[in-house]
Amino acid sequence: MTPKPLPSLITVIDIGTQKTVALVGQVIDGKARMLGFSERRTDGVVKGTVTDLDKLHAGVHEVINDLERVSQRPVHYVYLSIAGPAVDGERVKGFIPVPAHDGKVTKQDLDEAIRSAKRVEPPAGRLIMLYMRQPTLLDGKQVANPVGLQGRRLEVNFWRTTMEEGNVRFRVSMMNAMSVNVSEFILASHASGCAVVSESEKQGGVLVIDVGAGTTDWILYFKGHILCAGSIPVGGEHLTNDLSVALRISRETAEDLKIRFASALHRESDLNQTIWKDGDKGVGDQQFNRGTITQVSSLRYQEIMDFVRKDVLRHFEQIFPGHSVKLDQAFLPSGVVLTGGTSNLHDAAEGAHLVFGVSSRVGVPQFESEALRKPEYSGVIGMMVAAIQDAPPVVRRPKSFWDNLKNLFRF
Amino acid sequence: MSSTASILLVGLGGAGCSMVARLASSLPPQVRAVLLDADLNALQNSAVAETLQLGRSLTRGMGTGGESALGLAAIESEEPALRRLFTGVPIVVLVTGLGGGLGSGAAPALATIATEAGSTVLAFATIPFSHEGERRKRLASDALEKLSAKAHGLVVVQNDLLSLQVSADASLAEAFAAADDWVAGALRALASIFEAGALVPVDPAALRSILAHPGSPTLFTSGKAQGPQAALLAARAATESALAHGPDVISKVASLFVSVTGGSALSASDAFEAVNIIRAKFGGETTTIVGARIKPELGDGVEVAVIGASAPAPKAPKTRKTAKAGDPNQALFGFATEESLRRGIFGSAPFTFVDGVDIDVPTYIRRSIRLSPPK
Repeated sequence: MTPKPLPSLITVIDIGTQKTVALVGQVIDGKARMLGFSERRTDGVVKGTVTDLDKLHAGVHEVINDLERVSQRPVHYVYLSIAGPAVDGERVKGFIPVPAHDGKVTKQDLDEAIRSAKRVEPPAGRLIMLYMRQPTLLDGKQVANPVGLQGRRLEVNFWRTTMEEGNVRFRVSMMNAMSVNVSEFILASHASGCAVVSESEKQGGVLVIDVGAGTTDWILYFKGHILCAGSIPVGGEHLTNDLSVALRISRETAEDLKIRFASALHRESDLNQTIWKDGDKGVGDQQFNRGTITQVSSLRYQEIMDFVRKDVLRHFEQIFPGHSVKLDQAFLPSGVVLTGGTSNLHDAAEGAHLVFGVSSRVGVPQFESEALRKPEYSGVIGMMVAAIQDAPPVVRRPKSFWDNLKNLFRF
Repeated sequence: MSSTASILLVGLGGAGCSMVARLASSLPPQVRAVLLDADLNALQNSAVAETLQLGRSLTRGMGTGGESALGLAAIESEEPALRRLFTGVPIVVLVTGLGGGLGSGAAPALATIATEAGSTVLAFATIPFSHEGERRKRLASDALEKLSAKAHGLVVVQNDLLSLQVSADASLAEAFAAADDWVAGALRALASIFEAGALVPVDPAALRSILAHPGSPTLFTSGKAQGPQAALLAARAATESALAHGPDVISKVASLFVSVTGGSALSASDAFEAVNIIRAKFGGETTTIVGARIKPELGDGVEVAVIGASAPAPKAPKTRKTAKAGDPNQALFGFATEESLRRGIFGSAPFTFVDGVDIDVPTYIRRSIRLSPPK
């Protein structure tokens, strides 16, 4: 009996500073069914920047092996996340005067406008990773589809993500070295956004902040589109480091205390709490004051939020030159949504509310598997969502004899 | 000039003089204070009777303006007078602020003169605040290296660390005053050890025996507490003091000198309990000298001061280099610097600057926020 032809498989890999998470899903009727999941510690990445290629390579290889073992399917194509300081985003636009006598926009006009937008050269040494559609304007008015409408000036907008060339090359060659092709790159912050906020929230206006271990990536949706996005190389590891410096303890102890006792808010009552490192009060157990821990962690956490706020306002100055646009509840009706591993911090939402002054919540991805409904997995789950939404896998032509032969010799 | 003085407290340069001047009124008779500065105005306005103007012909009564070369020349021009000053003095305590002209230029030379005159030199040097600029910082670290080779004991006071002890909204003036106060308090504790009427008397020679070798790493810390169990709390405060945890302060020493001063309620067992806490923290396996005295005006308060030193590590015999300097296979070892300790696990990672500040340094250190003590 010959096996049934496989529906499209989507494999997404999110390489973070602390861990690499990957998912294999089978797409049936626009929904992914999880076939395999793998999570491994990442080595060789500091603050979102790769410092040791060999270690990273080894780690990703393990993840691919895991996926193939668990899902019983070979991995040929993957979606990779891009994030961190190497990634940059900008808005590009292209416009044409509508040439027709009656002013009706044709499909050719639209294509021409899109081509003119994409002709905008990226900065030297950077590669264009992806384009995301932004509002299309006909005589300054937003339209969903301009074809067939009357107007004089057609303008198309894109959110374009660029990345340093070397960074892209090594990612692709790293995957190719494992006989895996990169089908597409997905902006990590957008992926998180897809996982934790709804379309209606995006319509209103929402700021998604993914606080990871090494970097904090943010993305702002306005009227259903990406308005701007950015990344700051600060994250949960900085909280750990601050605690280890302040309390003079090892990184591991600091990590443990951070998870159990750190908070985004410092309360006076914390000063009355004495906490124990191990809790058994045995040899080597140490006691600390919880107030010190929350003071150190809240200072750093609120500073990260403030960095994001300033970064967003910097982008606003470029997007709306001359206007002072405020980051308030009127602009962001859906407020701030926090996600990523560090949003597990106690009172993370309250701490963000303190800085931004808008409603804040921690976003948890909706997913079939209970174990993955945690903020730290919003990136990888969102990638799956984005992979299905933004780039529906093309229907592959039936495999030829030659393809089958090639697959036979793949390890 | 009284001949009974066995400790000469020398303030050198603007910062050093202001600290010594603060102390001058409360010194025991065994301690004699002298101010050395190039700035005639500052000297005339100070309360200390004994002063010596440096570099009269070079600066004409003005300061050195931060020129360390000028500071050095000023000392050399007064060498005979300084030699006379130090002759017959067993212990010289040199207080100076590094980073200025006299502090950076003259302190090592002054320590050399005093050592050659047969004195044991214990130097207190403050390192400028980071916000005083890169140049002063560099001057200070150069001077520190030279001074540590010349003085028998060197206590480094990081102004940055001291500023962490004052509240977050303290003004600049308060931060400076806090730095001065700290050193002054430490010196007062040191001076009071030798006052008459001690419970456990200490001879200044004991201090000499601990600081026997030039260039030995030195530990100095002190703590104060009030109320019941004050001795224990003061000892604990001394072990937890910011000065005992500076980046280049050693944590274990061979010889310790512990002084416990308390009100009439201080019992011998309390005093020895305090000493045990200090010993558990800092070592003192070879020698521990204990001084204890009663000062009724302290009430139920206790002050603990600790000086410790180890003999300098024997110099490694010179060996021929086996690896070439540029050998790519040789692992890179770096010495832990103040910067890398502040950056913690990001010590070797590339720097990230946001608005001109290194954001890998903990937020509370950058904002100089004092961590609240437990209630």
